[in-house]
Amino acid sequence: MHFVWTSTVITLIAFVVLYLLLNRYAIGPLMSVMEKRREMVLSQLNEASATREEAAAYVEQQKEALQQARKDAYDIIEQSRQTSSKQADQLIAQAKDESTRLKDEALRDIESEKNKAMAALRGEVGRVSVQIASKLIEKEIDEKSNEGLVDQYLKDVGTKS
Amino acid sequence: MHEAPIIELGGIPFDLSIITMLIVSCLVVFLLAKFATRNLSVENPGKLQNFMEWVIEFVQNQIAGTMDLKKGKPFITLGVTLIMFIFVSNMLGLPFGIVFGYEHAGDATIFGQPIVSVVDAFNAAAAAGNEDPHIEVAFWKSPTADVSVTMTLAAIVFFMVHYLGIKKNTKSYFKHYLEPYPVFLPINLIEQFSSLLTHGMRLYGNIFAGEVLISVILKLAAVNVVGAIASIPLMMVWQGFSIFVGAIQAFVFMILAMVYISQKIDTHEEH
Repeated sequence: MHFVWTSTVITLIAFVVLYLLLNRYAIGPLMSVMEKRREMVLSQLNEASATREEAAAYVEQQKEALQQARKDAYDIIEQSRQTSSKQADQLIAQAKDESTRLKDEALRDIESEKNKAMAALRGEVGRVSVQIASKLIEKEIDEKSNEGLVDQYLKDVGTKS
Repeated sequence: MHEAPIIELGGIPFDLSIITMLIVSCLVVFLLAKFATRNLSVENPGKLQNFMEWVIEFVQNQIAGTMDLKKGKPFITLGVTLIMFIFVSNMLGLPFGIVFGYEHAGDATIFGQPIVSVVDAFNAAAAAGNEDPHIEVAFWKSPTADVSVTMTLAAIVFFMVHYLGIKKNTKSYFKHYLEPYPVFLPINLIEQFSSLLTHGMRLYGNIFAGEVLISVILKLAAVNVVGAIASIPLMMVWQGFSIFVGAIQAFVFMILAMVYISQKIDTHEEH
């Protein structure tokens, strides 16, 4: 066993130099990289959990929106159903109105035609009666002057009939 | 036994093999670490970077096992340097050795300087009446197989530990020597120095013994053909075991350093 004191000094220098070099060029940078990676992993984990929460919130929102849409659709269908039945009722009512109106009109026409026909008939009957009468009495009777008389007569007949 | 190549420059002795091997170890460790951290990437680390990160995390876990990691963080680099340097040093002596043999004291020179240890050995052989001495000098060996290297490493840890203890933990550091009773002061002092001694000697003893056994097996191989054949499995087993021992000793040295640090910087008040 040789104990050479310079070996001690040289070992000391070599070890200290190696320590400083490793610290400066290898382990220091490597440890900062490891630290960076640790932080990165941590931040990514946080990010992931935040994203997951966001996604859950979105899903909740989507569900609500879907629910809302479903409700809206139901309302719209209900409304249109109501509208259509109302329209049908309206149409039916209109048709009814129309038909009654047409019927009334027809009745009115009939009435007026009847009156007109009666008036024409009355005139004709008057003229014919005058001819018959003039023929019967063979007397020239001025149609015009006697018209009032005939009318009077016919009116009396009309009221009596 | 191999002699160490010691030369004297201006009266100061230098062990050339230790100097060479220390430089080689430091270079291997530094180049490995530098190569591993050449293209640092946060998201896509390479294989070597993963390996270095594994080493750092391993040391970090060991430190976390002995002390609060917040306090232990500054010692991660020390732990990594210790474990890598000692492991590489332990491994260097295993695969091969460079040994020069000398027959005459006059041949034993390097850079024009006489190798003092060899000259001394020749003188000793002559004094013992050995007419035909053969002295071998090992240039390539584990630096940790030399006691001055391991004791220096232990001393670095020792002085650092006590400096930290005095600086960060002054009151309980000095009180610790008088516990549980002031009578225990000499025992506590001996404990401190014995831990320094065992710290360095454990590593030296393990690695030195490993190298001694390797040279013994090599001598067996040189005896005759049977010895050569028998030495092959022995060598394989012992090399494998030496790798195991070298790894374990590097780990033990590192963890003991961390335990000593944690003992001294731990304030016992919070418990």
